[in-house]
Amino acid sequence: MSTELLQQIAETNRWGAIYPELALGILALALLALEAVLPKFAHGLIPRISILGQSILLGYILLFDRSGCCSGEAFGGMLSFDGTGQAFRILFLATSIFVSYLAMVSLEKREFPRIEYCHILLVVSGALMLLAQSNHFVMFFVALETATVGFYVLVSYYRTSYLSLEAGLKYLVMGALSSAILLFGIVLLYGAGSNPALEGSSADPLNFSNLYIFLVANPTDMMAIIGMLLVISGIAFKIGAFPFQIWVPDVYQGAPIPTTALLAVGSKAAGFAMLINMVEVFEPLKAWMYPLLSGIVALTILFGNLAALTQRNLKRVIGMSGVSHAGFLGMGVLASTQVEWATNAVVFYLFAYMLASMAVFAVMAHLPKNDDAELTIDDLSELSKKNGFLGFALAVGVGSLAGIPPLAGFIGKLLIFVAAFQAELYGLLAVGIIGVVISIYYYFGIIKSAFFEAWTFKDEELEEENPGVPGETLQLFGKLAIVVAVTGTIILGFWQGPIGTWIAG
Amino acid sequence: MTDLFFYIFSAVALISAFTVVFSRNTVNAAMALIVTFLSMASLFVLLEAYFLAVVQVLVYAGAVVVLFLFIVMLLDAKEDKQKKISRISTAAAVIGFAILVMGVVAIQSSPTLAEASGGELAASQMTLKTFGNQLFTTYLLPMQVTGFLLLIAMVGVIVISKKAKQPQS
Repeated sequence: MSTELLQQIAETNRWGAIYPELALGILALALLALEAVLPKFAHGLIPRISILGQSILLGYILLFDRSGCCSGEAFGGMLSFDGTGQAFRILFLATSIFVSYLAMVSLEKREFPRIEYCHILLVVSGALMLLAQSNHFVMFFVALETATVGFYVLVSYYRTSYLSLEAGLKYLVMGALSSAILLFGIVLLYGAGSNPALEGSSADPLNFSNLYIFLVANPTDMMAIIGMLLVISGIAFKIGAFPFQIWVPDVYQGAPIPTTALLAVGSKAAGFAMLINMVEVFEPLKAWMYPLLSGIVALTILFGNLAALTQRNLKRVIGMSGVSHAGFLGMGVLASTQVEWATNAVVFYLFAYMLASMAVFAVMAHLPKNDDAELTIDDLSELSKKNGFLGFALAVGVGSLAGIPPLAGFIGKLLIFVAAFQAELYGLLAVGIIGVVISIYYYFGIIKSAFFEAWTFKDEELEEENPGVPGETLQLFGKLAIVVAVTGTIILGFWQGPIGTWIAG
Repeated sequence: MTDLFFYIFSAVALISAFTVVFSRNTVNAAMALIVTFLSMASLFVLLEAYFLAVVQVLVYAGAVVVLFLFIVMLLDAKEDKQKKISRISTAAAVIGFAILVMGVVAIQSSPTLAEASGGELAASQMTLKTFGNQLFTTYLLPMQVTGFLLLIAMVGVIVISKKAKQPQS
């Protein structure tokens, strides 16, 4: 290999184009350095520095770089930048800020190290951003594994709690299994695409554009079809879609609240970023892929909603409702194969879902129970009386998740349904509407418990233990985070503004 | 000459692999595993995949087996009594063997494979130099991200396993 060729390749390494990821990486390293340098009493500042740094980055992107500074491929075809990728960047960054805040609150309560949590969180967010923009299976897999390894640690972070450790172990085993399935699929695609005897093969079939060219030339190649099935299955694992959702309730329950929020929003959004890319790449195999995805989507919506009906544990309810949300999002992704703007509708739905989930998780983090794995719906009882602010935030968040107009969740679902209608997915649309109707029941179970008095059995003999007041830990900073999530949910419901024009275009 | 070496190393690999499975003593099994990996590495050398051979020795025969030995010694595994083979393992073994036979037959009877075998081995170009060139040009970004992967894995292990400060309350 000559030096000119090397230089030519190295020239596509446009480091400036990935400045958000670089900034997160540097911030993550800086946190560790600060922990070593600063005196003990100043350590409480470090998570705040992390949030501040991320907020500055988010502000910069929102003000000056909304639609992405760069387009096209970079890093020798490893990454490809476009508007959707930039939207996912903003989504992951906002998620990361909310999760940092949740971590500050919940870890403070239980005295676990916070700085390392913030450090791992930043690296995971950076990896998720790269994942959403990857254009090559090597980058894709490395970014995915970085995020997944981070998740293993974050899930089992409450190591004194059996439930958290159990969740960590389950997530480790299931995550390793899904990674193995995904990797096997990638290898089969590589094997099929690099066969010089076939038309359209190339030396680097792991590149998405090369793979697409190969699949157009050989839409019936059995090896490629099996590879596609395995890759889609691996992604379905990450988003918690139907046959691969078994890990969701236990892991969501055992993981610390910030990690559950990150899993529910970040991991799911990353899965859909992957799925949106993959659906484009595998488009030539649609004879196999569309029926498969339709089946997964329909079963996911029904299973998620039906399974959530019987749950009493708050995190399990949110987890199973997350499964059904994955179904609705999957419907949007399927519609995007026919209707172009459906991809934007999926992104909008993810933003609405993120804001609403963060409001709900923030309320959960401020409930007085020490062990958040055992929060049940009953712990919310009379929340609106004890703390009206939290009660209102919960109502807005849950209402938006349920899709009650005029909140953002309603517009998100409406856009997805309109897209599905235009794409003529009538069967899925029917399933989706049935799913929404079922979901109202358990979402309003939560609201009912928070707003309406229920007769509860009180044992006079047992000593009344003081359960503490919800929202005791609420500070100005926390109020700000909840206010942002709630107003975001309400505003996006009434006024889609620039996002609306972006979706229509 | 190469054929002879191939048969020698294959035989060693097979015998030691059977020892891994059938040995009652876990330490002996781990040692036999090293022999298997070494003979596999020799097979890679015969295929002129030198880099793969070196990695095989360094990573598998070195690090992985040492890890196995650590765990065996930490857990203090005793020689266990012969367990009854359950019906499901028998079924799995039969199915596995059948798939293996099918694979061999498929390779033997494949017409495209017989033609392709005359070509140059792809692995023979895979010297350490081209590998390094690729790693520091095309795959530079994934490599940097891998660095972060290792960092958070390390930080995570320390955080989860270091001595816990007793949480109050």
